[in-house]
Amino acid sequence: MNYEIVCGIETHIELATKTKIFCGCTTEFGGEPNTHCCPVCTGQPGSLPILNQKVVEYAVKAGLALNCKINTRSHMDRKNYVYPDLPKAYQISQYDEPLCEKGYIELDSGKRIGITRIHIEEDAGKLVHENGYTYIDYNRSGVPLIEIVSEPDISSAEEAKEYAEKLQLTMRYIGISDCKMQEGSMRCDVNLSLRKPGDTKFGVRTEIKNINSLSFIQKAIVAEAERQADILEAGGTIVQQTMRYDEKTDSVAPMRDKENSDDYRYFPDPDILRFSIDEEKVEEIRASLPELPFDKLKRYMNVLGLPEATAKLIFRYRKVAEFFQGALAEGASVKNAANLIVGAIFSNMDTEEEKELFDIRISAAQFAALVKLADEKKINIGVAQGTLQKMLESGKPAEEFIKPEDLAGISDETLERLCREAIDANPRAADDVRSGKDKAINVMFGYIMKKTGGKADIRKAEALLRKLIGS
Amino acid sequence: MAISKTDIEKLAWLVRLSFSDEELERFTAEFDEIIAFADTINQSIEGGTEQIRSVGARMVSFDELRSDEVAPSLSNEKILSNVEGYNGFFSLERSRK
Amino acid sequence: MRAGISELAARLRNREISSVELTKAYIDAIEKLNPTLNIYVYLTFDTALKAAEKADQMLDEGDAPLICGIPMALKDNICTDGLPTTCCSRILKGFKPYYDATVWEKLKKQGAVLLGKANMDEFAMGNTSETSCYGAPLNPRNTNYVTGGSSGGSAAAVCANLAVYSLGSDTGGSIRLPASFCGVVGLKPTYGAVSRYGLIAYGSSLDQIGPLTNSVKDAAIVFDAIKGGDRRDQTSVDHDYGSSLAECLERDVKGMRIGVAEEFFDGINPEIKSSIDEAIKLFERNGAIIENISLPALKLALPVYYIIACAEASSNLGRYDGIRYGHRASSYTSIDDMITKTRSEGFGDEVKRRIMLGTYVLSSGYYDAYYKKACLIREEINREFDAVFEKCDVLIAPTAPNTAFPLNYKGASPVEMYLADICTVPVNIAGIPAISIPCGEDSRGLPIGMQIIGRRFGEATVLQAAHFYEQSAGKVIDDYEGGAVI
Repeated sequence: MNYEIVCGIETHIELATKTKIFCGCTTEFGGEPNTHCCPVCTGQPGSLPILNQKVVEYAVKAGLALNCKINTRSHMDRKNYVYPDLPKAYQISQYDEPLCEKGYIELDSGKRIGITRIHIEEDAGKLVHENGYTYIDYNRSGVPLIEIVSEPDISSAEEAKEYAEKLQLTMRYIGISDCKMQEGSMRCDVNLSLRKPGDTKFGVRTEIKNINSLSFIQKAIVAEAERQADILEAGGTIVQQTMRYDEKTDSVAPMRDKENSDDYRYFPDPDILRFSIDEEKVEEIRASLPELPFDKLKRYMNVLGLPEATAKLIFRYRKVAEFFQGALAEGASVKNAANLIVGAIFSNMDTEEEKELFDIRISAAQFAALVKLADEKKINIGVAQGTLQKMLESGKPAEEFIKPEDLAGISDETLERLCREAIDANPRAADDVRSGKDKAINVMFGYIMKKTGGKADIRKAEALLRKLIGS
Repeated sequence: MAISKTDIEKLAWLVRLSFSDEELERFTAEFDEIIAFADTINQSIEGGTEQIRSVGARMVSFDELRSDEVAPSLSNEKILSNVEGYNGFFSLERSRK
Repeated sequence: MRAGISELAARLRNREISSVELTKAYIDAIEKLNPTLNIYVYLTFDTALKAAEKADQMLDEGDAPLICGIPMALKDNICTDGLPTTCCSRILKGFKPYYDATVWEKLKKQGAVLLGKANMDEFAMGNTSETSCYGAPLNPRNTNYVTGGSSGGSAAAVCANLAVYSLGSDTGGSIRLPASFCGVVGLKPTYGAVSRYGLIAYGSSLDQIGPLTNSVKDAAIVFDAIKGGDRRDQTSVDHDYGSSLAECLERDVKGMRIGVAEEFFDGINPEIKSSIDEAIKLFERNGAIIENISLPALKLALPVYYIIACAEASSNLGRYDGIRYGHRASSYTSIDDMITKTRSEGFGDEVKRRIMLGTYVLSSGYYDAYYKKACLIREEINREFDAVFEKCDVLIAPTAPNTAFPLNYKGASPVEMYLADICTVPVNIAGIPAISIPCGEDSRGLPIGMQIIGRRFGEATVLQAAHFYEQSAGKVIDDYEGGAVI
């Protein structure tokens, strides 16, 4: 029997604000335990929360980037539960008046995965269990989060992965979070149930908590769908419960705590006034958004005419795309600029992170100056690549490495002289070319390139050689 | 509306309170009276179905919210001044005889 | 009448007495009386004397604020940096905050001299101060009776002249009720007029700090010293009162429109009713216009108050888990067990009852019928008050349906005890200001309190009306004999 997957994803993303959501403590990662703390974020008696404006702004940005409707009035609620990492025994969150609602993410297939809501809330502290003790660090307590809840529109593990990937990329792009899953600044909870094709009723669902990589999302869904299908096939019923994905065994198992029996007793937080954000402000925030990544990708392919593979390599990283576009604005050609970024600059960057940071020592204008030399055929691509490496190492402009004679190129007379020399020095190869063994011409190219230090225009040389050989 | 001892125990668990049998007996009886008292609000005035929100009609605009500027945190010493900490952490033995 | 703040301030300024001498006089009196009256739960004599020395310097330098050098008390739920703040609960025994409440920060800057922390009902939950883990304070006027609560220690300290003034907090009457039981003046300001930062929360949408004093003028002086917006409390408001309220107390009540709502007089002890009636007549004789008005939703105010206050409290008190401060159970089998034992040992019965009620009214299945309904009725009560204040400047009502209870009043169920708050809670629900002033004594010689209620930020009118009464009514209660000799 085949089943259809019905899946929704809840994603928590840590916002890259300078301060926590309700106090002025820094959100900086790391630091000695309990040193980024104050009475507010450690839940001291008598302390009161003061909402950070940037958190609201970032959440609105996220909402706009995900095609949501922004609620111009919103408020904070308390979600009550007891856990040692939660210093007030309630998390300040949003329940019935989230900042953003009703958006979507479009998959490559054109299918839209609905976004039910986006709300803001605070993170909890960290627990360390060791030698019979639990140690608590509240540095992360009060770090702002947004929770993005999708509709149960996802129907395969692949779609889930694509959804999460697109979400991650978009959030990074608009600059509200670094979305590092392995470091916990992006975490996914997956809700999953099965039903027979054609059924309109949902089956009983389980929730797989805290998945911390994109590929685990895919694997966890496959594992949980299999587990549920086995139970259903055997005539069993699914129990609604919270699960955990174990990457070592690639399996899903129920969590043992009492989380399933909680009653959060949400109510409006009396310490925080309801707040409004007017249309004008929303439009101002909308105007501050960069071109969104998938719009950019489409433009690179359809307008700039980049091949899909190259376009996909460049658009992913906002800083790379900005650098690329900066070079185009300075007059560099699309093709050479793109190829030099992908072929030369990326060769120094092994990790996603490096490309994300794109910390290079030259400006887009300096890069463009070099690209233009290649565009104007004053240097060939090989020289451009070599020069670019030197520029990247030193931070100095192209002029520092390209001699005037390089720029002048090889004169026609010199090239003709060199071509004759090449033929004379390689008579057998010349014969081969004459008899149709075209590849033999490479031997003569090699000679010319060696003599010119790679600066000869290869197409001109080819034409000349053929003329002289008479092939 | 009568409330059972089991209901009381369930509620108590949510807020981490426990009662001895004798306490539970007394508490359940008292609680019945308190609930009946609270219930008097349901004997008159039909309430609307509007959504309720935080206190009063006051609302702040986006511009009035706190700006994102770092204020110095407190020293670890102060943060831990009401407990015995361990290496800068709050420390909790998981069980104790 | 005992010397008020402005008189003491004058004597401090003309060197008739120094702040250190004044403080010592209060210390002596406290040492003599506190062991019996149990008003202070923590004494801060050393810091008081140091503060007095500093105040004397400030006075020497001139330009010192009115309250500079004057000894006072704080309710034990107002955070004091480095000094114990326990809410009179076992669960916070030994807790020393490392920050000051905004009100205390303000007073300290103005040269206030703190004598100690005043007794109260545990977490401000009660109206007799008997739920204090340190035992009840006694009513100085008759030690067989309670002080009222929850700011019982704060009221009694002023009554017994063991402090010139004190601060209390009022969630459902906790300043006004003990003020009435002890025969002193108690002002509950408009919600938001005074910062709540550093006030250990009970019912956050209702809590407000205010002064307990010997006179209306003193109440105005202290309110002037503590009011104002605070960037650490978003619910606070920087309202422009124009000028110092203490300086514009004199006002003719001619033409003042005073509302009297029958609902406030339902089930009120006849002795109290007749005292209030007398007071109303006094206003009327002096040209005030008495308006008989009706506030029908007031009948539901008491359960609405208990539902909202307890809902908020059940959440506010979740943080006392033995991890970061306060009591921690000594033996346990797991962290959950530790938290449960800590809380079960640390909280008293009344606090547990209110946490449980609050949990119940918020729990799924009951939220709509209780919490949500209560919030909707709250809005209705607000609308009724708004309408009333269209045609009245102030309302007059009793502070409590009865005078002070005898100590250890047995036989009363929790709900019967809640009834004592019936006249005070509507004011908190609406977030409006009200003062309680003495207006007579019952046949047992126990003080009777009268409430004057105003519109939001209408403290000036409330204080003016109260000041007028105080000046015109003559002696309405006996002076307390004892306390500091100056």
